[in-house]
Amino acid sequence: MWNEFIIFPFTNVLLWIYDAIGHNFGIAIILFTILIRAITWPLNAQQLKSTKVMQDLQQDKEWQAIQKKYAKDREKLAQEQMRVYKERGINPFASCLPTLIQFPIIIGLYQSIIHALAATPLGLLQLARSIYPFMNAAQLIPLNSKFLWMDLGRPEGIAFPAGFSIPFLPNGFPTLAIIVAATTYLQTKATMPPSGSSPGGQGAAMNSMMSVYMPLLLGYFALNFASGLAVYFVASNVLGIVQYASMGRVNWRNLLPGGGQPSPAPGKKT
Amino acid sequence: MKRLTLVSLVVLLAFLISACGTGASTESWPGLAADSSQVYLASGQFVYAVRLSDGSKVWQYPDKAGPQLFYSPPVLTPDGQLLVGSSGTDYGLTSLDPATGQTKWAAPFVARNHWVAPPLVEGETIFAANNDGALYGLELATGRMLWHLPLGGSLWGAPATNGKLVFVASLDHHLYAVDPSKQALAWKLDLGGSAPGTVSVSHDGSTVYAGSFGKKVFGVDAAGGSVRWTTDVKDWVWGAPVLASDSVYTADIGGHIYSLGAPNGKNAWPDILPDGPITGSPLALADGMLVATESGTVFAYDSTGSKLWDTVIGGKVYTAPIAAGDRIAVAPTGTDFLLAALDQNGKLLWKFTGK
Repeated sequence: MWNEFIIFPFTNVLLWIYDAIGHNFGIAIILFTILIRAITWPLNAQQLKSTKVMQDLQQDKEWQAIQKKYAKDREKLAQEQMRVYKERGINPFASCLPTLIQFPIIIGLYQSIIHALAATPLGLLQLARSIYPFMNAAQLIPLNSKFLWMDLGRPEGIAFPAGFSIPFLPNGFPTLAIIVAATTYLQTKATMPPSGSSPGGQGAAMNSMMSVYMPLLLGYFALNFASGLAVYFVASNVLGIVQYASMGRVNWRNLLPGGGQPSPAPGKKT
Repeated sequence: MKRLTLVSLVVLLAFLISACGTGASTESWPGLAADSSQVYLASGQFVYAVRLSDGSKVWQYPDKAGPQLFYSPPVLTPDGQLLVGSSGTDYGLTSLDPATGQTKWAAPFVARNHWVAPPLVEGETIFAANNDGALYGLELATGRMLWHLPLGGSLWGAPATNGKLVFVASLDHHLYAVDPSKQALAWKLDLGGSAPGTVSVSHDGSTVYAGSFGKKVFGVDAAGGSVRWTTDVKDWVWGAPVLASDSVYTADIGGHIYSLGAPNGKNAWPDILPDGPITGSPLALADGMLVATESGTVFAYDSTGSKLWDTVIGGKVYTAPIAAGDRIAVAPTGTDFLLAALDQNGKLLWKFTGK
């Protein structure tokens, strides 16, 4: 079922885009990313809305009173928090949903990239059988996996000079992995909601951890998996910043040391 | 911390899910070679030597699973070597002793990609076609690289020769003819689709036969690359067309089999569908041909297209059966044995499980 509902449709959309733009798989991945971002934008917008509600809640007097009163009673604190959520119709997990949705997409996209680039006889046979009848499969295969300096079916790396090697970097200097980590950091920081009235509190700690955790995680993926996935990451990160900026939700001050001020209301300059 | 825990669990789930998916991990693309007493099977992470008489294992290479992965059939050389190319991360081309499985030499050069095509041995030279799109000329005795010629695409089919030129088909839709004396391209021909299979050469060396994903089979003038005939078939041709007398036997992945006239490409048979997709090359018999289908069945036909027998092997058969002495060896995948031997009447003689 995963193949029929995720891998095959993703693969065919990628191939359709690839064929339409003149057989450039890297550009096809980028355009596919734009398509996915457009489709999931309503979820992202909902996430922004939920995040804003949660931010406002941090400033609420009743909420702050609860935090103070039950600071040493975790169970009671949790109960009171849930009561407030329920009374005000707030879903505390709503802001997580876009993140959760992204992971099956990432997995599906990675597998469809590997599926489309078919490096083995069995892989090629499976690809041939997954291409929808209206596609001109015979002319599409094999896919052109070259994009810029990369082979999209293999981890990216720029070869070290002859005689020089680093044991944990068998593919060479990981340029794309660094770009992935950097853009992930930029997106995470620039779109991070303010940590509320207590910059040293749990929210700030969470934000700080995510701004380190996510770039390292995605950089690791980019280092070890096919570079087509890394192209997706970079495109998705850049698009994410653009989308948030278009809504006036980007907080560039977060990128500066000591940043973390609330983002301005839409339409107001920083 | 709860959110971080949740994200961490999702990441873990992502890794687990990414380990699932296409379901290809339990299946391989085995290849076969044989001499008078043993069958050599390259399957998964090992190469096995199996006694023809009773299916018992003689040796396996390597002793323990390593970086090697074999999609390329092993090749026996006239001077007593067994050449195996790896599709694993090592990209190795290795010479083994057929009697013991010991390494004679491992190619002292680095190919840029894995080996799917079996090599061709002609005289003192090994012609090895790599997935990096290059044809390598290697010294037979040592594996030392003499030259290499980038051609294009990925080369999955074994090279063939008429003694003057070396022919190899590519996934980039072309049939290439190389002059080994000049290490240069002689000509190339667009086959209208990818060609993962080997090509065949007529006995007099004048004609090359090739099939492609363009649903075509070609008879090509070997000297200049002009097309003598083209025959449309019903589906993609994966395996090599096989020449027997004045017939060219071929099959497509739609499951159709054909007997084309060598001079003109005309199909002498009615529409015959054994029982499933065919990716392996047919095997020419004394009078007729034999194919194995993905459904796990072996079919034998005489030269008129009448079925002689069929035998259910089991599993899926993607690669070509071979003649091994007076027996027929078939390597299925996706089942609990790796190799089966039949007699000339299709009777199952033994199965080899790898143990």
